[in-house]
Amino acid sequence: MAQELKSINLVAPAFKGINTEDSPLAQDPSFAEVADNAVIDKRGRIAARKGHSVITTNKTALGSGTIRAIKEFDRSVGSNVILSVGNNKIFTGTTTLTDATPGGYTITADNWKIVNFNDKAYLFQASQAPLVYDGSSVVRLDSVAGAAGVVQGNEVLSAFGRLWVTGVSSNPSVVYWSDLLIGHDYSGGTSGSIDISKVWPDGYDEIVALAAHNGLLIIFGKHSIITYSGAEAPATMALADTVAGVGCVDRDTVQYTGTDVLFLAHTGLKSFGRTVQEKSLPISSLSGNITKDIIGALQAENTFFRSVYSPEEGFYLLTFVGQNITYCFDVRGTLENGSYRVTRWLSTGFSSYTREENGDLLIGTINGISQYTGYEDNGATYRFKYYSPSLTFGDSSRIKILKKLKPTLVGANNAAVFIKWAYDFKGTYATAEFTVGDQITGYYSDSEYTTVEFTGGALTNQRSLNTTGYGTSVVVGLEADIKGSQLSLQEINVMALIGKLL
Amino acid sequence: MAAWYDEIGKFLGSEAGAGSLAGLGLLLAQQGYKDIGDIGSQAYREMSGPDGLAQELRGMLEFQPYTVTTATGGQFGMQQDPTTGQMAYQMQMSPEEQAIQQQLLSQAQQMYGQAAMPTADREQEVFQRMMTAMSPEQERERLALEQRLAAQGRLGTQTAQFGGTPEGLTLAKAQEEARNTAMLNAMQFAGQEQMQQAQLGQGMLSGSYIPQAQLIAGLQPGMTGAEQRRASLSEQAKTYGETYATGLEALLQAGLGQAGIAGGFGTQLAGSALGGLFKKEP
Repeated sequence: MAQELKSINLVAPAFKGINTEDSPLAQDPSFAEVADNAVIDKRGRIAARKGHSVITTNKTALGSGTIRAIKEFDRSVGSNVILSVGNNKIFTGTTTLTDATPGGYTITADNWKIVNFNDKAYLFQASQAPLVYDGSSVVRLDSVAGAAGVVQGNEVLSAFGRLWVTGVSSNPSVVYWSDLLIGHDYSGGTSGSIDISKVWPDGYDEIVALAAHNGLLIIFGKHSIITYSGAEAPATMALADTVAGVGCVDRDTVQYTGTDVLFLAHTGLKSFGRTVQEKSLPISSLSGNITKDIIGALQAENTFFRSVYSPEEGFYLLTFVGQNITYCFDVRGTLENGSYRVTRWLSTGFSSYTREENGDLLIGTINGISQYTGYEDNGATYRFKYYSPSLTFGDSSRIKILKKLKPTLVGANNAAVFIKWAYDFKGTYATAEFTVGDQITGYYSDSEYTTVEFTGGALTNQRSLNTTGYGTSVVVGLEADIKGSQLSLQEINVMALIGKLL
Repeated sequence: MAAWYDEIGKFLGSEAGAGSLAGLGLLLAQQGYKDIGDIGSQAYREMSGPDGLAQELRGMLEFQPYTVTTATGGQFGMQQDPTTGQMAYQMQMSPEEQAIQQQLLSQAQQMYGQAAMPTADREQEVFQRMMTAMSPEQERERLALEQRLAAQGRLGTQTAQFGGTPEGLTLAKAQEEARNTAMLNAMQFAGQEQMQQAQLGQGMLSGSYIPQAQLIAGLQPGMTGAEQRRASLSEQAKTYGETYATGLEALLQAGLGQAGIAGGFGTQLAGSALGGLFKKEP
């Protein structure tokens, strides 16, 4: 008697993102073991990320360097200017990178932090004289008329009507603030400093980053966090809260999401999400599903961390530049365990980010400045990968014999798709390939007499692929080279026979 | 009977008798003149001569040395140097009074000395004492602020506007104001103290003369007694002199009368005799 073919429908597979923390056997099929070059799209499906389109046409000044920081200089009069750094130079512009490095000024590193403040852009990095850009030229901050007490900090924050500078190598626990609305005066007016070396809850720490949120000045140490209230009047600001054991890895991992502040700690991505509600700091873990992976990545990182928050895309990108790994956290909601849904982008070459005022996401690469748009990486394909966790179909003791895999894809025009499966945790995958046809969207009246079919928008594509082999657990994967069209994985219907007990 | 006096009369009526009478009269007048001169000499001798009334009265009115002793033992003595005749008086307080006077003078000198000293050192001393008195409270305030700032995580605050924290500046200002006030108070106190020392010195100096003043005051009754005695002696001498002079004057007046009578008689007699002698016979 023929056995019943059991259908297991993986609806919106991996819409919960990657999970490498829980046991593969016990995992919800909504997680993914691998989700590379993927995002969670607006419908909650796993989809290919967008590519980047290089804007820069003249990167002579950049040479063989890489854009290490980008910032849009917002000014009250005139067009905004994109500032970027790389190859030990300061650039203005996007299509042509114009070297704006001050004459006679030698730059030894590209780890600049750039902030807007009072119609100027300020650039700080450790052991380097700060620079300021007023829309016409970049000059040394200490050369500005009236400049006094300028410090060479590694972190700068524009908040509460002042510039806040810290990370001075000789005073790692001191925060300096400028005079009100005067970013070049650190010894006159209402400027000042605070040495928090006696405030650290663990006795000692060093300041890594600063942030301002919900009326609080947040000071991130390497393994502590201190918040001050009343920073509008720094002379009287008072300690509001301290957190021990949680700090920030790098200043460039701190991002504001409007209602929250995200930062990378040594144990993963953290936030102050509940701080406002509970008036304390029960730090929630936002990378709980990839904790070990992210810890491993940050421990192996020896170059830069870069991050960006894009409300338009709904994600927070965290890039380990030296390892060329980017984790994409979907910030539209959290899972049951409080974690964001996360996917991974590999080998993108992204080395810096900024979000423009109009919502465009600019990316720094070795090719200059790109925009996060389209579905090609500067004209090249990139591979989208999805692998499910090990599926046991509810009974890990029985053999499963896969008969068919029926993926439902949205988009993926002309893409070569590879369906993969493997049994029993083996890394050897069987593959079935198919190419999605040329799916040109046709609209009634517009395309009536052409060769296209009338469709309702994005095209869906369903295939039924025969599979082979058997095992107690099954991993199903899908890979596709993205070349110009979006791809979303709607579902995968797995048809299997349940065999005997082992 | 013709008596002998008729004979005398006849003789006197003769020229010889007249001449004799005139001579006798001149002798009587001369004797009267001479007696008056003797009376003057006697009067001078009796009144102003070496052993006369004046000499006697001088002895009677000569100064009598005396000594007054007060109830507290102070003494005042007045005497005349027997050689030079110079008057000398001595005042001597009792040993207790002298000790008090010496003590008060010494203290007055000390007070005046202190009052004359520059006040800077004293000001500093008073200021230090005031600061010492204030320092525990100031330290408590400083510690309280330190704890408050530590609790607020603001110990390391440095500002261009306040130096440190506003509270720190406020406390520092308050303490500095207290310090300034203490300094001014110390200066004022030192000045007042200097004035007080001068007043004390003055009082002690004045007090040191009180035993002397009281000694002088105590002499008054004794001096009054001595004066009364001197007045009595003076009155006695005066009375003696007046009596002596009166008797002498009576004596001299009697002598003068006698001399006048003798002189007058002799003059008349001589005049009469000489008048009859040189009368022309008709």
